Amino acid sequence: MSAHETPVAVGGKLLAPPMKPLLALFAVAAAVMAFRFFAGLGPVSNMSDGFAWGIWEPINVVVFTGIGTGALGVGLLTYLANRGEYHGLVRPAVLAGAIAYTLGGSSIMVALGRYWNALLLPVVPLWNLSSALLEVAVCVLAYLFVLWIEVLPSILDRAAESASPRWSRIGRRWAPRLARAMPYLIGLAMVLPVMHQSSLGGLMLIAEPKVHPLWHTALLPALFLVSCLSMGYGAVVALVTILNLAWNAKLDPRLLATLARVNSGFLFFFLALRLGDLAWAGKLPLLGFDVTTLLFVVELCLFLAPAAMFAVPAVQRNRGRMFGAALLAVAAGAVYRVDTYLSVFRPGPGWSYFPSLGEIAVTVGMGAAGIALFIVICRLFPIVVVGKRPAVARGRAPGAPGRPPELERMRTSA
Amino acid sequence: MRISRRGLLKGTVAAGAAGALAGAAHGREAVEPEPDAVGMLFDSTRCVGCRACQSACKTANGLHPDTVSANGGVYDAPLDLNASTKTIIKTFGSGEGQAFVKQQCMHCVDPPCVSACMLGAMHKEGEGKRPIRGEKRGTGVVVYDPYTCTGCRYCQIACPFNVPKFEWRAAFPLIVKCELCRHRADPSRPGPLALANPACAEVCPRRAIVYGWRRELLAEAKRRIAAEPRRYNGHVYGEHEGGGTQVLCLAGAGISFQDLGLRALPDRSAARFSESVSHAPYLHGLTPIALYAAIAFVVRRNERGHEASRREEETR
Repeated sequence: MSAHETPVAVGGKLLAPPMKPLLALFAVAAAVMAFRFFAGLGPVSNMSDGFAWGIWEPINVVVFTGIGTGALGVGLLTYLANRGEYHGLVRPAVLAGAIAYTLGGSSIMVALGRYWNALLLPVVPLWNLSSALLEVAVCVLAYLFVLWIEVLPSILDRAAESASPRWSRIGRRWAPRLARAMPYLIGLAMVLPVMHQSSLGGLMLIAEPKVHPLWHTALLPALFLVSCLSMGYGAVVALVTILNLAWNAKLDPRLLATLARVNSGFLFFFLALRLGDLAWAGKLPLLGFDVTTLLFVVELCLFLAPAAMFAVPAVQRNRGRMFGAALLAVAAGAVYRVDTYLSVFRPGPGWSYFPSLGEIAVTVGMGAAGIALFIVICRLFPIVVVGKRPAVARGRAPGAPGRPPELERMRTSA
Repeated sequence: MRISRRGLLKGTVAAGAAGALAGAAHGREAVEPEPDAVGMLFDSTRCVGCRACQSACKTANGLHPDTVSANGGVYDAPLDLNASTKTIIKTFGSGEGQAFVKQQCMHCVDPPCVSACMLGAMHKEGEGKRPIRGEKRGTGVVVYDPYTCTGCRYCQIACPFNVPKFEWRAAFPLIVKCELCRHRADPSRPGPLALANPACAEVCPRRAIVYGWRRELLAEAKRRIAAEPRRYNGHVYGEHEGGGTQVLCLAGAGISFQDLGLRALPDRSAARFSESVSHAPYLHGLTPIALYAAIAFVVRRNERGHEASRREEETR
């Protein structure tokens, strides 16, 4: 990593906009979740014995972690394909991944009816290896652990710079040790998400009679794996663009153009798999003039649009269009996943579902909490590589390893 | 080493294709019914809809009434299976085509709920992930162990009959479903009654519900069809559906099981399909280990290369 590529703590006020509304949204979610632990799941949700997972599993877990696989996408490029120029994207992508998986994991704890028994998950003799959900649960927990260890170098870098000799010693001692262990950790950081992202698709294999045949296929694991990569690369392009606008983070258009081409490949590959599978299985006659066909067509368009956009050099040069295509790529994967888990899930006659305000509040609030946590960590710790252009109205020379002022204030007042 | 985008894609395609091939080659074996599997035979043509079974089930299992208020009165009248109703009589159609059906756990031969359950809370009697006192292997009864249940509700997603029910209004909820009145077994009695004794079968005034060995019930069902071919629709639901169920059902002539709310299912269990597809790419755990080793090797080599070039720069 060359000197101008060194990430810095962004600094700035912790409660600067948009922090307060984010915290307010999370407060509502927290209240709903707290109530749930006393009253049970029924009073806060519209979940039923037919729609037992509501929106928390499909959105908070399956979509959030899909977005979080940006860490895997950047890791594949940086470490496996050995493209060192992507190093600057690793820390933001890994942090976003760690937070997304944390949100997924904590949402599940709220959704579990008998959450205290989740403590038994590490007890290997109890494992039912036939269960796709067990594979997901164990793998996600392990990956969550790996992701936060991958975030540690930023924390240790910050500690090394600390004025406190104790923290500084810890940072200087452990940062190089962690760096040596990294290749082995990176191996896990790639195998684990490949395993559980495909298993997230595998989860719905057993619901064969309930998932619409246009969505239910033996290729569900493969489709979920490819869609997590297309979502992840999209999320990284969107994230880098937002960081550039907000904090003048370094944005190399050539890198984004490569990400766009890679993502275009994955999106087209998904489409080929999806359509090829339907044609192969002879399911195309299931298409007709109905709501499921509409959903299917919307899904295809959502994949096709960013796939085509990302492949066009004119789009790759335009930051706004790239951002739009990136959001579409994330939306495509998200809609595909929610469709499979919820929209085309038909438990039988007589069942219907629309999320309750409480469920929506938890999903939105958890998302808000994730954004808030990301902002706070970027302000306090060196995550983002700040570009050379002077930051507007930030009052601090960008690029200089700054110490967040409020930390200083806290330290002097303590 | 440089891995191009095309290379990555090629790798993904190759891995996917290999997985699909392996999946086709190594399908999980079908589960056959245990020789001493117990079960139930429900004959829709004999049921008059008196709901004595429903009441007996509630009493035998200590379930709360599921009340509705109407016309100034309060009735224990559940509308569907729920956390306080393990069996229910429903009626479908009208006139000549009217028929009753008894809904409850079908005790599948190869149950998707058992395949789905993370820690073996839902399991075939005596085949759980932890030893549970009093459970006898070989009955095939699908039983529930609350001590290993996380309340994830994947069993509800997996069950093709929507049988497992969740206590939505409890702070410490349970999954509720028929366990074939295993607790009413009497070891001193002969045959299947030593293993279980469903209250619903005991009270049925028309012998529409019979409890016994599955193999004998299946033979009895076929005997009834053979004896009165014009009375029945000619099929035994549960002989093959979803890999077979231990609760079997007969329906009257001209009535399809789908008319009675019993799903049309392929002969192979969804559990078998799911496990075959999911396990294939893992090659008994070899794939993740090989993948990990390969990635760690490449990453370490790349890092070393970077380090060497950095050192070179410094010395220059």
